[in-house]
Amino acid sequence: METRPVINPIPPVRLYRINAGSCNGCDVELAATAAVASFDVERLGCCYSESPAEADIVLITGPLTLRVKDKVLRLHGEVPKPKVTVAVGVCPISGGVFRDSYAVAGPADDYLPVDVNVPGCPPHPRAILAGIAKAAALWRELSGCGQTLPEPAVPGSYDEDAAAPLGLRGKMRFNAAACVGCRMCEHVCAGGAIRIDELGPGLRFTLWHNSCVFCGLCSHYCPTKALTVTDQWQLSHFQEDKFSLTEQGFIPFVACTGCGHIMLPATPELLRVSYRKTNPEIERLKTLCPECRQKQSLGGIRR
Amino acid sequence: MIDFKEKVSETLSLRTGAEVTIEWRINIKGVMTGWCRLREAALILPAAEAVAGLEGRLSMITAYLSDSAKQKGVREIAFHFDLDGTTLTLGIELPLEGARIPSLTPLFRNADWHEREFMELYDIQVIGHPAPRRLFLDRSIDPAAFERLIPYSTFSNGANSKALWEKVMARSGNNRKELQ
Amino acid sequence: MSGTVITLGPQQLALEEPMYFSVEVDGEIVVGLDVLAGHVHRGMEHLVMKRNFYQNITLLERLCSLCSNSHPSTFCTAVEELAGIRIPARAEYLRAIADEIKRISSHLFNCAIIAHIIGQGTLFKRVMEVREIMQDTKESIYGNRMDLAANCIGGVRYDLTPESAVYLGKQMERIKGPLEELYRIYATDHAIRTRTEGLGVLPNRDAINYAVVGPVARASGIDYDVRRKSPYWAYDRLRFQVAVEQAGDVRARAMVRLREAREAVSLIEQCLVDLPPGPLCSDTLPEIPAGETIAKSEAPRGELIYYLNTDGTDMPVRLKWRVPSYMNWDALQVMLKGQRVADIPLIVNSIDPCISCTDR
Repeated sequence: METRPVINPIPPVRLYRINAGSCNGCDVELAATAAVASFDVERLGCCYSESPAEADIVLITGPLTLRVKDKVLRLHGEVPKPKVTVAVGVCPISGGVFRDSYAVAGPADDYLPVDVNVPGCPPHPRAILAGIAKAAALWRELSGCGQTLPEPAVPGSYDEDAAAPLGLRGKMRFNAAACVGCRMCEHVCAGGAIRIDELGPGLRFTLWHNSCVFCGLCSHYCPTKALTVTDQWQLSHFQEDKFSLTEQGFIPFVACTGCGHIMLPATPELLRVSYRKTNPEIERLKTLCPECRQKQSLGGIRR
Repeated sequence: MIDFKEKVSETLSLRTGAEVTIEWRINIKGVMTGWCRLREAALILPAAEAVAGLEGRLSMITAYLSDSAKQKGVREIAFHFDLDGTTLTLGIELPLEGARIPSLTPLFRNADWHEREFMELYDIQVIGHPAPRRLFLDRSIDPAAFERLIPYSTFSNGANSKALWEKVMARSGNNRKELQ
Repeated sequence: MSGTVITLGPQQLALEEPMYFSVEVDGEIVVGLDVLAGHVHRGMEHLVMKRNFYQNITLLERLCSLCSNSHPSTFCTAVEELAGIRIPARAEYLRAIADEIKRISSHLFNCAIIAHIIGQGTLFKRVMEVREIMQDTKESIYGNRMDLAANCIGGVRYDLTPESAVYLGKQMERIKGPLEELYRIYATDHAIRTRTEGLGVLPNRDAINYAVVGPVARASGIDYDVRRKSPYWAYDRLRFQVAVEQAGDVRARAMVRLREAREAVSLIEQCLVDLPPGPLCSDTLPEIPAGETIAKSEAPRGELIYYLNTDGTDMPVRLKWRVPSYMNWDALQVMLKGQRVADIPLIVNSIDPCISCTDR
């Protein structure tokens, strides 16, 4: 049997994991990147290290509880410079659903420098690999080991353009034209990821993907499906983009054709949900504010 | 079924020396739960002895402080026991200030963690606990964490959320075309 | 002479989560133990009182990823019980399917860890690859490999289309062989038997005294399973055997889990055959009246119990839950006493402890 000589001149980039009080979801997925062939970090030229002193990249999970804070900072401090830190999952990035608890000290970047964020809850192993690939490239640059990344054994295993696994719950998409401003999405969001502000001529919708846990409950309860789940799940990014990873939309107020008062428009989606099919009468009524509608109705419908 | 219910209330009445009424509820699956409020907090020890005598298992202890109870100047604890699939909940009231109850650890060894936990979350003292020290809370957190915490209005505008959202809005607040 | 106290952390205990043990040793032998918990304490029982019922569905799913579905489903059951909602028959089956899928994944993860600790690297990878069948299944049907987002108040928010039902059936066919193979390996492989048999024994009498639950209890001869004792969802119409072993050692606990994984496949297959048509959810936005109630389920690690107290508003007055792991830590006192220090990780992992569940 012919054996090919192993050519691997580049020493592996060593990864060290720190659990900062996580639900173990990200940690179990990190275990998959050590044990499952199709997600193996070795394809990125990386390996796991059991000792912080012998690591190059730190992977941190969990919201950073008060109880682990000092231990986490000590371990992080033991990793020699130049080190690159990856926040895995929304917990270390923003606190996720645990933000503002009395027992939580994070987000992690309040206490230690974070370089790469991998949103998700938990992120798909391939999203984690994409984040690690970014971190490894940055570490090679910082440490002067400027070699290029070895070709992955299976192309696309961490490639950001690789096809999404079928039906994966990715980031949310907002369609302002369908929104009726009921705020149900904001009400049901456990991560506090949605904010709706009244801004002069309308409502501004903002969803911060770094606080979203991808549960899709907002879409489930949205009466007009202005919010939908997409299959975009490759969201790893450098720290500088942390706060701009948002989905935004603007719902302009319209003036009532009866009295001129400003109001939220009745969207086609709402009319479809309410009446299934529209007719000229509904089309006319939808331009009126509730008060004018009531007046018109009491006055009888003119045909 | 009737025998079982009678046996439980009789045993409890006998041990506590007081007439004990249990409200039994049966759900659509035929699973039964029993609900009973003890007249005095001190009766929890003999009542727990009765449950132990029925080969019951301590399932959970819930200390809680509702607004309505607070207005009456009391706090509550619910002791949940398992009787081979039937959950029996014994409730007691304690004073808001200086609440003390006996430890159930001599009867149910697994009361240990439950008692340690509610001692750190609420202002309740457990008499006779073998090791009344903290279970989960970090030293930096004040005792009776669930009682001394900030009200909801402050909470929902939590310092962390507020600071983070300010940064989000500063980065992506008004720089989109449709907003201009 | 005893008296040396050593502190063991997640690395020495081979745990994925931060948990610390203070172990009293006499030479190489364990004589005493203190469990130092709280590192994953996120104040969740306080958070749930500051969030509404809908937010709590998602928040509770983040309690622990290995049994993530058990929490929202049992919480929703408590809310439904209070509001007098009967969930549609189809939802009862879909909830059972989601829980059983999670049970197989969870049990396989523990089996993998056991292999890892014993030093069977190839077997560890093999179990993790088998588990990937379940990860793929979760991803395809629910959209995430860990958190299913399957539940809502009044039922479920996912459906099995005819195509996805066929897919799920095929995945069950795919995993049957590997599950049989793993059962056989853990039952008969000489190296595994040598390391697990007679190790960390919890005799039946102690199991009762320490009030342990789940596979830990069943491996010590306690025939208790919430699905049987207090049926819920579709479990009153499904046929299954409660896996009980008598030896009470590390091996018996692994055998119980592997038998339960096989049983879970049968439960899912029954659900697919019996799955009734109809709606998924009975009432989208129900009023939740004031009251108190209990809901229970058999999570992968055993009995899970929720207590819900409400006042007619949309936030709980109190929501308290006790996870199975909470009951099982103390029994390590019995299992570890007289055992070698080197065996601590294996014995600790044999209770399949969940730290994020315990600490909340």
